[in-house]
Amino acid sequence: MSVVAAARTRGGALVAPFARQLGLAGSVLLVICCFLPWSTYSGFPGKMLNSTPGGARLYVLLLALFGFLFVKDLPGRRRALGSASTFAFVIALLTMLFIAYAGRGLVNVGSGAFVGVVAALLYMVGARSLPEDDRTAPVRSLPDGRWRAAVESVLCVLAAVAALAAFVIGLGIPSTSIADGEDYRLGGAISLNDLTNESQFLSFLLFLCGLMLALSRMGVIASLGAITKRHSKVLVAAGLMAAVVFPFTQGGDGYSLRIAASIGVFAAAAVGLNIVVGLAGLLDLGYIAFFGVGAYFAAIVSGSITSVIDVHLPFGLVILLSALIAGLFGVLLGAPTLRLRGDYLAIVTLGFGEIFRITVNNLDGSAGPKLTNGPNGVSNIPDLVLPGGFSFGENHNLFGVDLPFQANYYWLEVILVAVVMTAFLRLAESRIGRAWVAIREDELAAAATGINTTRLKLLAFALGATLAGAAGSVSAHVVKVAAPDSFTFLESALLLAAVILGGMGTVQGALLGATVLYLLPEKLRFLQDLRLLVFGIVLVLIMRLRPEGLVPSKRRQREFHEAGGGADALAAPPGHAGALG
Amino acid sequence: MDLFLQQLVNGLVLGATYGLIALGYTMVYGIVQLINFAHGEIFMLGGFGALTTYLALPSGTPAGVALPLMLLGGMAVSVTVAVIMERFAYRPLRGAPRLAPLITALGVSIALQELIRNFYPRAKSARNFPQLVNPDRRFSLGGDVSISAPNLLTIVVAVIGMVALSTFVRRSRTGRAMQATAQDPDTARLMGIDTDRIIVTAFVLGAALAAVAGLAQGLRFGQVDFRMGFITGIKAFTAAVLGGIGNISGAVLGGFTLGLVEVMATQYAPEPFAGGAWKDAWAFVVLIVVLVFRPTGLLGERVAARA
Amino acid sequence: MTIVLQASAVTKRFGGLTAVKSVDLEVNEGEVVGLIGPNGAGKTTFFNCLTGLETPTAGEVTYRGTPLPRRPDLVTKAGVARTFQNIRLFPNMTALENVLVGRHTRTRAGVLAAVGRGPRYHREERESEDRSRELLDFVGLGKVRNELAKALPYGDQRKLEIARALATDPGLLLLDEPTAGMNPNETAATVKLVRAIQERSIAIVLIEHDMRFVFGLCDRVAVLVQGEKLMEGPPSAVQADERVVAAYLGTPTEEDTA
Repeated sequence: MSVVAAARTRGGALVAPFARQLGLAGSVLLVICCFLPWSTYSGFPGKMLNSTPGGARLYVLLLALFGFLFVKDLPGRRRALGSASTFAFVIALLTMLFIAYAGRGLVNVGSGAFVGVVAALLYMVGARSLPEDDRTAPVRSLPDGRWRAAVESVLCVLAAVAALAAFVIGLGIPSTSIADGEDYRLGGAISLNDLTNESQFLSFLLFLCGLMLALSRMGVIASLGAITKRHSKVLVAAGLMAAVVFPFTQGGDGYSLRIAASIGVFAAAAVGLNIVVGLAGLLDLGYIAFFGVGAYFAAIVSGSITSVIDVHLPFGLVILLSALIAGLFGVLLGAPTLRLRGDYLAIVTLGFGEIFRITVNNLDGSAGPKLTNGPNGVSNIPDLVLPGGFSFGENHNLFGVDLPFQANYYWLEVILVAVVMTAFLRLAESRIGRAWVAIREDELAAAATGINTTRLKLLAFALGATLAGAAGSVSAHVVKVAAPDSFTFLESALLLAAVILGGMGTVQGALLGATVLYLLPEKLRFLQDLRLLVFGIVLVLIMRLRPEGLVPSKRRQREFHEAGGGADALAAPPGHAGALG
Repeated sequence: MDLFLQQLVNGLVLGATYGLIALGYTMVYGIVQLINFAHGEIFMLGGFGALTTYLALPSGTPAGVALPLMLLGGMAVSVTVAVIMERFAYRPLRGAPRLAPLITALGVSIALQELIRNFYPRAKSARNFPQLVNPDRRFSLGGDVSISAPNLLTIVVAVIGMVALSTFVRRSRTGRAMQATAQDPDTARLMGIDTDRIIVTAFVLGAALAAVAGLAQGLRFGQVDFRMGFITGIKAFTAAVLGGIGNISGAVLGGFTLGLVEVMATQYAPEPFAGGAWKDAWAFVVLIVVLVFRPTGLLGERVAARA
Repeated sequence: MTIVLQASAVTKRFGGLTAVKSVDLEVNEGEVVGLIGPNGAGKTTFFNCLTGLETPTAGEVTYRGTPLPRRPDLVTKAGVARTFQNIRLFPNMTALENVLVGRHTRTRAGVLAAVGRGPRYHREERESEDRSRELLDFVGLGKVRNELAKALPYGDQRKLEIARALATDPGLLLLDEPTAGMNPNETAATVKLVRAIQERSIAIVLIEHDMRFVFGLCDRVAVLVQGEKLMEGPPSAVQADERVVAAYLGTPTEEDTA
């Protein structure tokens, strides 16, 4: 390792005097290459043949444009260029290799790709040989003035639109369809030719990562964060608008809407779990069981022909009752166990989750009373029909656009996510939220400051359960079935992974984590079988490398990176007494 | 009456497995206060390690030769994975917020299961395990009560393992150093004990015993499954808590108690909650009840409350 | 004069060890009482018994005539606040947030109010914030209210802990070694602060090892030795008492027999 580092330093020293010229030449060359054909055959989608850049070439081109930093010295230049050039190089290299593979040989790789990879390499070497940045540069903001508020609001809207665009593009890249039960393993039955979609999605993902990293190193993300914080209402409104508008961008295609609605289900549950784990610091490993309670209740009382109870309650009442019942379960489980140590609580919730799964599996009339139909679950939940006669199961035409019926369920999910998010955000910044954080920080001091710690922990736990119940009842209507295999421990673990990946204690983090964790296996089909393996490894790596997650709450970030535990209640005790005997 | 006695025997056999695994949880928890979620997977890997060893042996190897080799093979796999896990997943997190190691343990557990499922040949569902000890051979214990050969072997091996461990911890230098580290790691370090080495020792011993349980499991059921570590692991943790976590005799006692409770509940619970479909549920009910009413376990836990 | 706190025959045993042995203590309205004694005399355990962190084995504690509950949050709610010997702030919250947490018992907004955010919620939040800012100014931390608690210098952390305790609107404040680790300047500032608190008609009991601080500040001093109250009286009397000197320095005979 050190030898490599030394060699790199020596090489860097050699190049350093010409770093700017070298990098600039590389980036300019790279821009030119993006207008040359990268492939000589038409089998590769993503517009690799003609001279208009598309797909991977467009991403490389955009990342190459950061080369202007070689001319203009902005704060964070070296690190921003480092990210942009590295990701450009990786995308170019991957694309070239893929074209060579898919086209069965290097002959099919166009001149643009060859020169592009070399140009990207020069770009990268130049960027990495620049002098170190001055890391003390402050967060910049717009100059004060009459138009500042307006400009900042526009920026917020643009941020929301950009997020929507990224989502639409990512979702728009088609997925490889595979037959059910087919064995999918890298290097197995699947030929690389089938991976064109995956390759496109991967390069898009890499592009997003590179772009975000480069921007964040230039301080743009921090400035934007400060701006959006000042205009949070504008951002929320713009975000909500973007989410509502999304179905109109899909040209009547229901598939993406179904995926988006599923992400919504997942995200709503993740945000709810984030209240319990992120704010109050209680590790709940059976969260999906509360979700399941809501889903099963909704499935049973909503007029499904497979339900043993022949009732059909109105939807609003179903949501309310599901939430209440799940909350009740939360209280029943939490009241006796919340005074236990945190790690015991984790085990108890896990046990509860397993009991729930076993129970719904058994209430099929043979191993127990007939209520849940055992492994088959309660299926055929009828489509929702609003009092005005608006059926969720039919396609509708809005503003002259034909919308598939999935849009109805998608909007339902948007409302659910909005409600859960609002609850989270408002609670976090309230007397209750402060008390939760105080308990997490130092339970004893919190008690001595007048906080009824048991009651507040129970409140967090029960509230999390309530939101999960509501989300579960909505999701039962979206997927039209409640079956035991949707409520296994692994589902709880995935939710937890979403919260941790995104960032504990932030709502954006939970949304991002849920989206990434849902979309990756959906779009990268070869990951399908390996996805749990990847999640497991991701959990370990995140705890090791970036425990605060992708979008950390400011507070959590400090918490995880402080040296030594100090008075932190979450930290392992510096001195402890135990014994073996 | 015979039925009851027979179930008693079955419960003890089941409990022996739980006890063996529970020892690993209790030692690690006693020393570093970590619930090593992935310990159940170490047990599962022990079973697969033993199977791999068997497959590598020339066919026709007599059981008397194959079994010890399989045990060694299983132990080698379990111990290696446990040491790697400690070194690269847990050790860097010492002193991190308490949630971090727990989440890491969860990740390791999922990853190990998936590694076996995806990359061990034909392991996507249960894999057959050689029936080297004939399960149809039964030893009568009086009346209609009997015990099958693999079950008898399980009990015998488990008791040997438990006695060996307890002797080691009480008599050997390293064992005493383990006790000292559990009492007070800082002072132990000042006294010249290499606490890192002690922690690794705890992981190694726990993994070795779990491998014993893994081999026994394979012999008893004639199959190993990548999923078998998860539920059994949680139950073994229940056993450790039941006995009083951090307490070595407690883990053994808790294991046997839980085994008995599970078998008896499956047999005698009021209909419709009896029968195999509910047996795991009963184990978890025991877990919750114990934690609620006696979180310090039967023998009292040896981990003082951390203020 | 009204009696604020009355502790009678408070005893705390840990297994075979009696940490606090039948200690009586009375505190009057607006009084500053010092609690001194050698290390391990049971002073902090006595505090813990008063504030519900430990349940006394025997004895009774009343606050303004009603028995104090046995739970720390209820004790605080009843009007007895405390600080800790080894400062226990919420390290990753800002100074202002720390003090806002202190307002918890005196505010009411629940989950529904927090999510609904009606006018009453906003009023309450504003009042809490005003009061917390005022208290931070009072202890001299107005300028650093948006700093993280753990980033504050040691002396400021002690002040912040006092501000947080004051935010609970106590009638009695228990300070556990408020000047530990402070330099003479900071100690002098703490004297002023305690006096200012006293002027707000809040009674104070403080554990302290700095004798100059104790004798210069307290109206009355109680001496605890090996869990028992050795004596109690005005500073001048305690200062002159031979037994107190002996307890601190230890007599040779006692050393030998112990």
